[in-house]
Amino acid sequence: MVETLNESLSPHDHSVLVEIVKVTKIYPPDVMALRNVSLSAEKGELIFLTGPSGAGKTTLLKLLCRQEIPTKGLIEIDGNDLNTLSDNAIQKLRQRIGVAYQDFKLLPRLSVFQNIAMPMEVQFKNPKDIRNRVTELLAKLGLSDKQNKPAGKLSRGEQQRITIARAAANSPLLLLADEPTGNLDAVTTGLVMDLFQELNENGSTIIIATHDESIYRGTNHRKFELQQGELF
Amino acid sequence: MRFFLFIFTQTLRNICHSWGVQLMTLLTVTLSVLIFSFFYLIYTNMLQAGEKLGQELRLTVYLESPLNPAEQEEFKKKVNSFGKVEKIIFITPEQAFQRLAKQLGNDSDVLADLSPAFLPFSAEIYPEKDFHNLSRIKEFSDYLKNLPGTQKVQYGQAWVERFGHFVKLLRFIVIISGTLLILTTLFMVSSTLRLTLYARQDELKVLRYLGATNSYIKGPVLIEGFALGLFGSSLGLGALFFLFQWIKINFSSAVFLGLFELRFLPMTTSAVILLGSIMLCTLGSLLSIRRLLKR
Ligand SMILES: Nc1ncnc2c1ncn2[C@@H]1O[C@H](COP(=O)(O)OP(=O)(O)OP(=O)(O)O)[C@@H](O)[C@H]1O
Ligand SMILES: [Mg+2]
Repeated sequence: MVETLNESLSPHDHSVLVEIVKVTKIYPPDVMALRNVSLSAEKGELIFLTGPSGAGKTTLLKLLCRQEIPTKGLIEIDGNDLNTLSDNAIQKLRQRIGVAYQDFKLLPRLSVFQNIAMPMEVQFKNPKDIRNRVTELLAKLGLSDKQNKPAGKLSRGEQQRITIARAAANSPLLLLADEPTGNLDAVTTGLVMDLFQELNENGSTIIIATHDESIYRGTNHRKFELQQGELF
Repeated sequence: MRFFLFIFTQTLRNICHSWGVQLMTLLTVTLSVLIFSFFYLIYTNMLQAGEKLGQELRLTVYLESPLNPAEQEEFKKKVNSFGKVEKIIFITPEQAFQRLAKQLGNDSDVLADLSPAFLPFSAEIYPEKDFHNLSRIKEFSDYLKNLPGTQKVQYGQAWVERFGHFVKLLRFIVIISGTLLILTTLFMVSSTLRLTLYARQDELKVLRYLGATNSYIKGPVLIEGFALGLFGSSLGLGALFFLFQWIKINFSSAVFLGLFELRFLPMTTSAVILLGSIMLCTLGSLLSIRRLLKR
């Protein structure tokens, strides 16, 4: 019943984590969100994905966590072809991918703590470890005093940081951040980028979709630009 | 271990989320179990009473003329050819007269002017214990009625027949209420849990995105079904027990109850009802998630 994921690296290239090959995504009936996009990311890389609104950044990230299915093309993560994975294997893979959603996808009635703890609970982690990790993340993102508030009662900037903390909770293999600093001021943006930096140094591969030039200007990470569904 | 802890806290969270509906469902299960087990209790007590009364049952055959010992032997043989009987006693008119006088007690002087001769010669037949099937009594009586020399057969026909109908009616009610129990628990539990799952749809969606496996989502729902069955049927049986005690205290002096002892459902029956309800409710919860977990 349990389909083990391909934990070892792909036989072709030992350092590739994400492989996107000629992917096209058409939303029915005829919205061409991505056109023939190919991209590969190595393990431990940090990549910026830029482009104007509507260019397809979110769509690309959604394909990577199997929230959407490509119309054409191949996507492999850690050697697993997303098209052929069973439901259960997809869930296991999702446990190793952290996503900070552009629309947050928080549960407004649950507390900040509970929201951030969810991905760890899903993996049946030790309650004490969960508590420590959540406390640590809240401190790093400047939210320590909000721990027990319902997530729905917080400002957008605060909610944004919660979705980031949730994505980072399991120190995922792959972290997808969609517009992570869209609602933040310069100081909190700094906190978020420090967290990403730290995760990245600890081995997480990170893909950040953003309009915010300030976070990639002057870095030597790879940067891709999407325009009307095409990658440059 | 930790797995169970999580499933358990998750279950509690779900229950808190929609305790109103859950309580309603719990009470429905309780009520169904109570109604079913109540009728079943009456049914078993009636069967038991029937057996007890059946043990005291005898057929009296009034004969046209007294039988001499040889004829008595002949008569016994004929009776035994239908089915084994425990004993046959022949009652002379004199013996019958004395019995009557005894029964009348102080009023026995009404018999003063009468001679025993107005009473017929009779035979009392005590059927064997395993012969006490009420439905066969009637056949037996018909058989005896057709023996030569028989005037009349008496065994409390009206009573036995009425009792038989009553038991049949009870059996029918037990079957109906049992079916209702099955249907209500299955449908109530599955539809309530489906409703609560709909209410939690956002949460389930997020859980899927975070990589929650089927067992993480299904587990708590199954436990909810299990708990509904366990607590619902325990409450129902508990309520029945108190109802039973109350009836016993308040009505035990009533004449008809004096004939036999009221008994509560045996342990095994209670256990079967309990386990059955738990199974039904768990099945109901399974039904509720079956469709929801597509994708
Ligand atoms: N579910 C959907 N159904 C139909 N069309 C969609 C859907 N989601 C996105 N689109 C369309 O696909 C295109 C790409 O959208 P996407 O959300 O990927 O853009 P984006 O680059 O993330 O934009 P933004 O910077 O505003 O977040 C847009 O034209 C959008 O209208
Ligand atoms: Mg977007």
